[in-house]
Amino acid sequence: MVKGIRKMPDSRLKKILLDWHIYLVLAVFWIVSCAASPFFRTIDTFSTILVSAVPIALVGLGQTFVVLSRGFDLSIGAVAGLATAVASVTMHFGIGPSIGLIIIISLVIGAINGLGVSKLNIDSFVMTLGMMFFLTGVNFLIRPSPGGFIPGTFKRILLYHVAGFPLVPFLILLLAAIVGILVLQKRKFGREIYAVGGAPQSAQMSGVNVDRTRIKVFAVSALSAAMAGLFISARIGSGNAEAGAPYLFDSFTAVFMGGTLVTGGVGGYRGTVASALIIASIGQILQFLGITIWYHFIVKGLLLAGVAGIQLFIVGRRRA
Amino acid sequence: MNRVGRFQLFAVQPIILTLALIVIITIAGFLTPGFLTFRHLKMVLYCNTMLGILALAQTLVILSGGIDLSIGSTYWITVMLGALFMVDGNFIVPSIVCIVVGATIGIINGVGVSRLKIPHVVMTLAMMIILTGTLYVTTGGGGRGRAAPELISLSTGRIFGFPIISLVWISLTVLFHIILKMTAFGWKVRALGSNLSACYCSGISIWKVQVLVYMISGILAALAGLLYLGWARTPYPTFQSGAGVGADIMLQSIAAVIIGGTMFSGGRGGVERTFLGVLILAVLFSILGMAGLGMEWQIMLNGVIILVIVGVHSRIGQQ
Repeated sequence: MVKGIRKMPDSRLKKILLDWHIYLVLAVFWIVSCAASPFFRTIDTFSTILVSAVPIALVGLGQTFVVLSRGFDLSIGAVAGLATAVASVTMHFGIGPSIGLIIIISLVIGAINGLGVSKLNIDSFVMTLGMMFFLTGVNFLIRPSPGGFIPGTFKRILLYHVAGFPLVPFLILLLAAIVGILVLQKRKFGREIYAVGGAPQSAQMSGVNVDRTRIKVFAVSALSAAMAGLFISARIGSGNAEAGAPYLFDSFTAVFMGGTLVTGGVGGYRGTVASALIIASIGQILQFLGITIWYHFIVKGLLLAGVAGIQLFIVGRRRA
Repeated sequence: MNRVGRFQLFAVQPIILTLALIVIITIAGFLTPGFLTFRHLKMVLYCNTMLGILALAQTLVILSGGIDLSIGSTYWITVMLGALFMVDGNFIVPSIVCIVVGATIGIINGVGVSRLKIPHVVMTLAMMIILTGTLYVTTGGGGRGRAAPELISLSTGRIFGFPIISLVWISLTVLFHIILKMTAFGWKVRALGSNLSACYCSGISIWKVQVLVYMISGILAALAGLLYLGWARTPYPTFQSGAGVGADIMLQSIAAVIIGGTMFSGGRGGVERTFLGVLILAVLFSILGMAGLGMEWQIMLNGVIILVIVGVHSRIGQQ
């Protein structure tokens, strides 16, 4: 793959645009719809947007790490589905043990993905595709039809509202953002991810343990997907083998729209959070503009292609 | 193992897959009565024709170093649009319109990838999401319309007891095998997948080849959609809501390509391998079905086969 940045953004404005363009889109979306519809300007709307953005932001966290390290994780949706299925089966033994079990399972899945990608040198797309199929089958075995038991306390804690404002979902979003940005920018692990994604061979030569970094990245990805699955199970109040499937493509949309390049090594979690909010907003905005809800797919797709194209235009990147 | 040995192993891989297929069929024939009959094997082939054609298209794209995530949505949108247009019983015009729609989708993908330089995953993912929306908007999520009588007789027809559409699949496989091995276009496709910069340096107009590959992929997806429409007679929404229309069959087609042994990074492989891959999946699913194990076991097995075969491949193919 020939990759190279022909010219770096030279002016200050360009740099700011490149870093924050996705927030510009988000601001435009919100301002326009607030101006257009008085019903949009309510705390209810934003609370719905926040709650539906949380799972996207969580799966986006793992996917950002994976894409930055020059990989794909297709098993994210299946892991989220597995988390809801396992939660719905085991939650009546107690919330704590169930969450512990889910964390352990997801870490094991992530480690297997990472081992396959790093030690067996399997393409990450293929490795996680196989894992996705396998886990989807397991999900259907555990939970053939939607249902199961999710305790009321668990639901109430995760969806805790104060005066209509979803406090806990907001805190989860904030926590994910802080963790994602801090780890990627300030920690050794984060810098290693950028090194591995940008130039694996150089990273290897400069003493980064590429294999270990990859395994850790996939473990983080599976863990964050499982967290998203727990949140989804609290939202829908039951287990569903297919609950995670839509979030697979949403995670890719969020990551790519947020300015992380497919080729790895460029981007960050900041854009992913904004994209998660945009994706969650589109449906609401269309609803308040009186447009059929199904148009949100078209808007999402056009936005993805458009933002990716504009970003490439700003950077002035040649051949991917 | 040295490099030469690896190349030789890669070359005999289709033979190994064929042997495995024969062994599986023989064992299944002994274990389950009625498996090893012409009628049943014909049925297995018939049921997987649509997947086979999609996997064939996917093989071309993967060989050229790309991936087409929008293939399943193109397939479904043809099913839906075809049924809408064929309400009056016309056959020729709606079919041509469907093929043109497929080709247009492919050309847009190809232009986005080659001229606008949007990464193929992003471009085709966006296309998949857009098509999902288009489909819901135009049909409201439910199936409307029905297939033309000619299409139904084509899709369910037989020549000497052999399903016509399976013959279409087989002849397409042969055709694309010849194209890939014997024409300059086929050579360019594989060159594109193995070394893009060498292609650029040797004066191949990369964008033309890429647009053509995605266009062929769109056309084949539309063709598969038409055949499915004739088979199902009226479209019914079997797609998952929210996940993207056709995501299931798209992932299945990628799985078949990988199981067949085409390198995911592009450049090496072929449509005959994909044909074998589809057959192996089909036969194993049929065995599971006859053993009374349901869909969840089939999906699980799909994953296990991918992981096992790819684990073996990773030792064989990559340098």
